[in-house]
Order: sequence, then structure tokens, then C-alpha cells
Amino acid sequence: MRPCGIFDERYTQDMAIIRTKQHWAALVGALIFIYLFPLFGSYYLVSFMNNLFITIIVVLGLQIVSGYCGQISFGQPAFMAVGAYASAILTMKAGLSFWLALPLSGIIAGVFGIIGGAPSLRIKGFYLAIATIAIHFVTMWLILHLKITGATQGLNAAPPEIFGYALDTDERMYYLIATVMLIMTFGARNLVRSKAGRALVAIRDNDLAAEVMGINLFYYKLLAFFISCLYAGVAGSLFGHLIMVVHPEQFTLTHALWYLGMIIIGGMGSIPGAFFGVIFVRVLDELVLFASPFLSNAFPWLGASPAAALGISAFGLVLIIFLVFEPRGLAHRWEIFKSSYRLYPFAY
Amino acid sequence: MNEFLQLLTSGVMEGSLYALLAASIVLVFKSTQVASLAHGQILAFGAIFLYFFLGSLQLPLIVALILAFAATALLGLVIERTTLRPLIGQPLFSSFLVTFAVFMFFDGIFQLIVKGGTLTLPHFLPKGTLHLGYLSIPTGEFCSFLVALLLFALLALMFRYTKVGLGLRASAENHQLAQSTGISVKQIFSIIWVISSLVACVAGIATAHVTDIYYTLPQMGIKGLIVGLFGGLDSIPGALIGGIILGIMENLSAGYLDPVVGGGMKEVAAYVMLLLILLIKPYGLLGLVRIERI
Repeated sequence: MRPCGIFDERYTQDMAIIRTKQHWAALVGALIFIYLFPLFGSYYLVSFMNNLFITIIVVLGLQIVSGYCGQISFGQPAFMAVGAYASAILTMKAGLSFWLALPLSGIIAGVFGIIGGAPSLRIKGFYLAIATIAIHFVTMWLILHLKITGATQGLNAAPPEIFGYALDTDERMYYLIATVMLIMTFGARNLVRSKAGRALVAIRDNDLAAEVMGINLFYYKLLAFFISCLYAGVAGSLFGHLIMVVHPEQFTLTHALWYLGMIIIGGMGSIPGAFFGVIFVRVLDELVLFASPFLSNAFPWLGASPAAALGISAFGLVLIIFLVFEPRGLAHRWEIFKSSYRLYPFAY
Repeated sequence: MNEFLQLLTSGVMEGSLYALLAASIVLVFKSTQVASLAHGQILAFGAIFLYFFLGSLQLPLIVALILAFAATALLGLVIERTTLRPLIGQPLFSSFLVTFAVFMFFDGIFQLIVKGGTLTLPHFLPKGTLHLGYLSIPTGEFCSFLVALLLFALLALMFRYTKVGLGLRASAENHQLAQSTGISVKQIFSIIWVISSLVACVAGIATAHVTDIYYTLPQMGIKGLIVGLFGGLDSIPGALIGGIILGIMENLSAGYLDPVVGGGMKEVAAYVMLLLILLIKPYGLLGLVRIERI
């Protein structure tokens, strides 16, 4: 919906993502906020933002394969692990530079994703979801039992260097992660309104009709898996180099449930939805973390450190509420708000 | 050969518990078309309830068992009422997702109760070991196996001969037709959740009796789904066969492959098996084949 009085006179105007002055102001404001954040944010907040940005990259990938293409995947943490391990092996064992290993690990994870997404050609819906759970466990088992991945020891990952300047703290990594996140967001936003994005949506809405229209299901489903795993791989690589150690315990099925929950809460099939979902869930988690000492004092039977368990419960509860009352997620509410804001004096 | 037979029997014993859990998932899927991940939690909470009534409150065994069954049935009913009933009419996939949200919600509570450790159920089944030739079977496991078989027989009888069973089968076939013949489909949904919760509760108590209530117990729900898929999600005999095959596969791969590849085969065998079955026969061994293009 266009704001009142804004008319698209040229094709470029029609296709622009950023149309109005308010858009530009919001974009510049957000960029300034993101890039100046470490100057006034505490160390804790900066590392929180690092995790937030990495999660956003993963969830954007999941949004493409699950939200846009409709192939529900629980495999995202496994592909993240593939990316993290690929990056650690490439930098530490093969001696590549991090700047080469980052895109390479994304591509390696993407190729794994094509293998992992192969079942989607034969099964769909709930069966595919369970198959991706199986893929997760098989991948993690392989990682735990291969020599090159360091088995239960995990691998070390050195911090990346730029012009001899090591990005070895959370503040220094922050700029890299924020930049990669912005590039990935830009990529995702443009992908979903390209020919490929429209094909993915068509497959989600009705795969049979899509095929009849001449969309190659084989190609586009695997493309969706490739892109989503590329996102996961890049996020995994950043994550590994951020905390400098890669370990199988960091990539569990529970993470897959969290990511999937984030796109449900944010809204399936929406790029801003990925942001809303991640921010909502992460902030909720932090609130539970803050509240848990008080709760633990008030109710001693909760035990000394109920934060993790309470966080899972709160997340499950919020997810139930969203699925029952607002299955289209926060993004839908945002669209409603936007259209009523643009039409403000009038009802429609 | 002896080792093989021993692995085979313990596989069958373990498999019967998987089969019970799978049966509870299959029951729900058959009549409501919802594949439930929440049954892992219902199973775990069945065991927790029994632990609470038998271990903490020291009630007599029969009373504790009845109370535990009642509490689990209530849990199943509440889950159905609050989360699944509002979603009738929505895409089936959101029902699947809501069961996983229920799983997460109860997982937090379960972790609060267990606190990362284990709770040991008081042993109420006979102790000791049965010796059949050169086979040795713990009596407790054997009893659970018998109970599982008995429960399967009861389920089959219920579906075959009672009026409720007839209603369940009718609404499994077609909701609208069942509704038009005077069966209250909503009531059927509630009944099926109660029955499947009871079955899951028995599976939970039997499992906890063998392995204690450890903090990963709810994850058995995923195994139950796998067994259900393997046997076919709408086939109760499929659940029995699938469960026993999974138990045997796990034990055989743990016995023979672990020394070769270095451990952990028991966990991954189920998933490898699942991937194979999904690629070869997506609707399971005995499942109803729906013809559709993908």
C-alpha cells in the first residue's frame, strides 16, 4: 500500500525498496544506531547484539526455505555447524585467510544443504520436517565421529585479522557481524522479490499449480535449501570465529526449535518478520534471565538457576499464544499498523 | 549366535516400549490427522506423576497408579482443549507446530522438576532375571513387555467391538461424514487424547521403571514419531512392528557397529532408518498410501 499522495511515475520508483523520506530517515537512523552502538553500549549489550545479529542471519535463511518456500526445516543448526566447522578447518588446517573462508564455508554448507534438502523432492510437509530432524542427528553424529572435526574436542578458530589488526573482542567483531548481517538482509530482501522469490512463494502456496505453470520444482526447492544453508553456513562461520571454539554442543535440536519458533512469532514469509521474531524471542529470553533470580528467591522449589528452563517454558507459552491467536505473526500486525498509519485520517 | 539372540530379545523388549509410545501418537494421528510431538512430554509427565504419588507421597501402588493415570488423562485433555481445539480448521501444519510449542512449554517445567539429574521410581515390578536357555531377561522389562502386548490387544478390541471405537474409526475415515451420522467429532477428539495420554503414560511408567526418569526422557517423543512414521502413521499394527524393529535395529547396531565406528550408533540408527524409509516408502510399512504429486 502506497502512502497518500505518493505516485510511482517511473519503473525504478515502482521497484524501489525505499520510497519515502520517512523510509530514508529510518534507514539512516538505523544504520547510525547500529554502527555507533558499541560506543555507548556496554560489553554485555554488545555481545547480546552479536548473538542477535548471528541469529538474524540464520533465521533469514530459515525464512527463505520455510517461510517463502514452505519446506519446514529443522536442519538449520546442523548446517550452521557445517559452516562453522568448514570455516575452522579452512583457516586453521588449510591456512586460508578468514575473508576467503567466510564465503567458502557458506558455499560448503549450501552444498550440504542441497544434499539435506534432497528428500524434499519426494516428501513434503510434516514428513519432510521429521526427515530434517533425522538429517540434523546424522550430521551431528558424523561431526562427533570424524577425525577432521576433532570429535568431542571440537576445534579452535582464530579471530579474523584485517590489515594485521585482530578482531579478537566482541566489540571488534561487532562491526564485521553487523556488516555481514546488513548485506545478507539486503540479499534476502531482494531475492524474495526476484523471479526466484516469486517461484518459491508459488511452490509454497500450491506446488502442483506451480509445476503446471512451468516452475521447475526440483531446481527451486534445492535452490531454497542451498540459499538457506548458505545463510546458516555464514552465520556458523561468524559464530565460530566470534567465540573462537567450535563444539558439537553448540548446535542442538533445541536451537532448531528456537529458530522455527522465531519465524512463527515474527511471521512466516516476511523478511521484517525474521527481525521481529528474533528480537522478540531474544528480549523475552533476557527478561526471563533477569527475572529468574527474583523468582528463585520467591519460590525456592524452582531451584538455584531456573533461567534456562523458565526461558524454554516462556518461549513455548508465547509460541502457543501466537499460533492460536495470531498465526500470521508480528509481521502481520506491523502491516496492519503501517497501512492504518499511512491512511491516518481515513479508515480506508 | 548367543550374543545375537540376546541382542534380539532385549531389542524386542525395548522396542515394545517404543511401540506403545508410537501407538499413542498413531491414535491421535489416525483420528485427528495431527502428528504430535507433545506425547514425549505426556510420557515423561506420566512417569513424574507416578514418582510424585508413589515416591513422594508414599501412597499404595494401586492408588498411586490410578491417580497417575487420572492426572495424565487430565493433562492430555487440557492440551487438547487449550491448544489443538482452537486450531481446528487451520492448516494441519500449525497443529503440528503447536504440539512442538507444547513440547517446549512442558520441557521447561520438566527440567525444573528433574534439574538435570535423574529421579528413580520405586521398583514395584518383580526384580530378578529370567533365564530362558542361554538368554537372560530382566523380569521388570519382561513385565513391561507383557503389559505393552496386553495394551495393544485391548486397543484392538476397543476399536473392534465398542461403540466409542466405532466412532473413533468413523471420524478417522471422514470428519464430515462422521459428524452427519450423529457422532460428535469434538467429543471424539477429546476421547482420543485421553486414551492416547493413558497409553503414553503406561509407556512412560514402563520406560522410567527400566531407565529412571532422566532429563532427556521427553526426547523419546521424537523416537515415537519416528516409529510411527516407520510403521505408517495411521496404522496401529504398524506402530507395534515399527517399534520392535527399531528396538532390534538399535540393539544390533549398538552391539555390532559400535566397536567398528566408535560408539553412538544406538542414537543415530533410528534416524538413518527413518531417512531410508522416508525415501523408499514415505507412508511407512503399513500406512495408507495417499496418491498425490510432489
